[in-house]
Amino acid sequence: MNARAEAAPARVYVWEFPVRLTHWTIVLSVVVLAVTGIYIGNPFLTVAGEARDHFVTGTIRVIHFYAAIAFALAVLARVIWMFMGNRYARWPQFVPMDEGRRRGIVQTLQFYLFLRRDPPPTAGHNPLAGATYLAVFGLYFVQILTGLAMYSASAPVGSPFGVFSAFVPILGGLQTARYVHHIAMWLILGFVAHHVWSAIEVALVERNGIIESMVTGYKTGVPDEEAKSRDE
Amino acid sequence: MAAKGDWLVGELERRGVTRREFAAFCSTVAGILMLPRSAGAELAQAMATGRKPTLVWLEFQDCAGNTESFLRAARPSAADILLDTLSVDYHETIMAAAGHQAEAVLQDTVSGQSGQYLVVVEGSIPTGANGAYCTIGGRSALDIVREVCGSAQATIAVGTCAAFGGIPAAAPNPTGALSVADAVPGIRNLINLPACPANAANLAALVVYFVTYGRWPPLDGLRRPLFAYGKTIHDNCERRAHYDAGQYVELWGDEGHRKGYCLYKVGCKGPVCFQNCPEVGWNEGTNWPVGCGHPCLGCAEPDFWDKMTPFYAHLDGFPGFNRQTHIDKVGAWGTLGVAAAFGAHALIQIARRRGTGDAQDDSAETGETS
Ligand code: SF4
Ligand code: SF4
Repeated sequence: MNARAEAAPARVYVWEFPVRLTHWTIVLSVVVLAVTGIYIGNPFLTVAGEARDHFVTGTIRVIHFYAAIAFALAVLARVIWMFMGNRYARWPQFVPMDEGRRRGIVQTLQFYLFLRRDPPPTAGHNPLAGATYLAVFGLYFVQILTGLAMYSASAPVGSPFGVFSAFVPILGGLQTARYVHHIAMWLILGFVAHHVWSAIEVALVERNGIIESMVTGYKTGVPDEEAKSRDE
Repeated sequence: MAAKGDWLVGELERRGVTRREFAAFCSTVAGILMLPRSAGAELAQAMATGRKPTLVWLEFQDCAGNTESFLRAARPSAADILLDTLSVDYHETIMAAAGHQAEAVLQDTVSGQSGQYLVVVEGSIPTGANGAYCTIGGRSALDIVREVCGSAQATIAVGTCAAFGGIPAAAPNPTGALSVADAVPGIRNLINLPACPANAANLAALVVYFVTYGRWPPLDGLRRPLFAYGKTIHDNCERRAHYDAGQYVELWGDEGHRKGYCLYKVGCKGPVCFQNCPEVGWNEGTNWPVGCGHPCLGCAEPDFWDKMTPFYAHLDGFPGFNRQTHIDKVGAWGTLGVAAAFGAHALIQIARRRGTGDAQDDSAETGETS
């Protein structure tokens, strides 16, 4: 593919509204879930006085559950959008099926290892990022499943959430589910740390407005793959 | 087989248990079974007139803890007498007969009452070395279970070892120990009554239910009766208000411990363990572990010895680290490490570009690749 910029930096509409909405919902809910989740794992506040006057852990758990609902719905919506959105949102961006994208992974890795000056030009996700997000979505599903399984343990009799108790033996029991839930959270937070820095780095190096694009939807000076595939 | 009716009531009278106590026992059992109050009378009626079930009690890789749990009792209650009266047919630990004489009793039951007796299995079944790790009268445990449970009306796997493998099956499981269900798949009417040991009150209630209704109560996915394993310890715990409020024991004997705060932070597995300890209690309802200031160990769950340890920590340590190393500590440092590494990467990238003047040159940036 010849990726020479066709003209002066053009604005390309890359991230549609559902992509941006689910992105920021996930960001917000992950922050809330991590903070409340770390607290639930190790409740570091201790209140004095009578138990009946306080509901600290109880409240934090409720916040965790609501954030979890927002998170799960956003993840689900984003997955559905992988089959409905524009080419930058679709599933082939994440699953490196063709030779070109597989080569792109190697090229991007070379870029990160300073073996290559520029990452392969891409309008949507770069191939390495796309593959990484596949793993990250895997972690999201681990969190959702372990979370629902643990929630099912205290779901009221007759609650529809009771069905998720079916996952408990598959996950190796509730105590293992707790453990996996913790480790997956830290892997996600590790990803967040990497993601923020990479976004800053790519924004500075490529100057394609990647950070603003997550708000406006537009990147600048990137090949318009969507238009190109329409022309062909 | 004993005559109808008189087997229990007569025995109770002989041992000085009054009718009133027997009625109280039946309504307690109705309570344990989560049946309506009126069911107490129905149970009493059935126990007074029903056929006496024959019960054989097999012990394999166990510590006899379940036996102890059922036989202790400073003052025998109706429940004790019930179990006592039932289990006389064969029970190695308490029967008078021994050796070949005892085995003959078992053989008589198996062949003479095929399909009509109950079996209680205590302990796990070793399958390593062709079953040589546990043999009775020259026969392997596996063999005995196959035969005795195979022609029983129903089997109760009592205690965590029989129900899920328990301590003998804990890693590295040198004897290849299995639960009854795994050792001999397809046993008819198998019910699991895990816990270490199982609660005598639950076993008594289960037997009363079976005698009364001729079938097992509703079970969960692990074949445990829902009346006893339908809710987590945590959801019925008397310290739950402290949990929700945010009041925890931090150290043994600290102020929170003396005030009866929640034991979550000293490793209570109540949120991940299903049993009715908070309601039924132990030692004739005197108290239960959390009630006297000790965290739940999660003894009634599968793989409890492997998964619920360390007992006094919320979670196991991070793999490859010391078991006391909390995951959160490793995770926090790992995350900081990632942030530092990528931060440094970004700085190096920018510095290199500055050095060659590239960062200034937009067209070269976006356009060229090779
Ligand atoms: S003591 Fe254990 S079971 Fe009781 S509320 Fe605390 S964590 Fe739950
Ligand atoms: S409180 Fe927990 S560890 Fe103790 S007997 Fe009950 S289930 Fe087992």
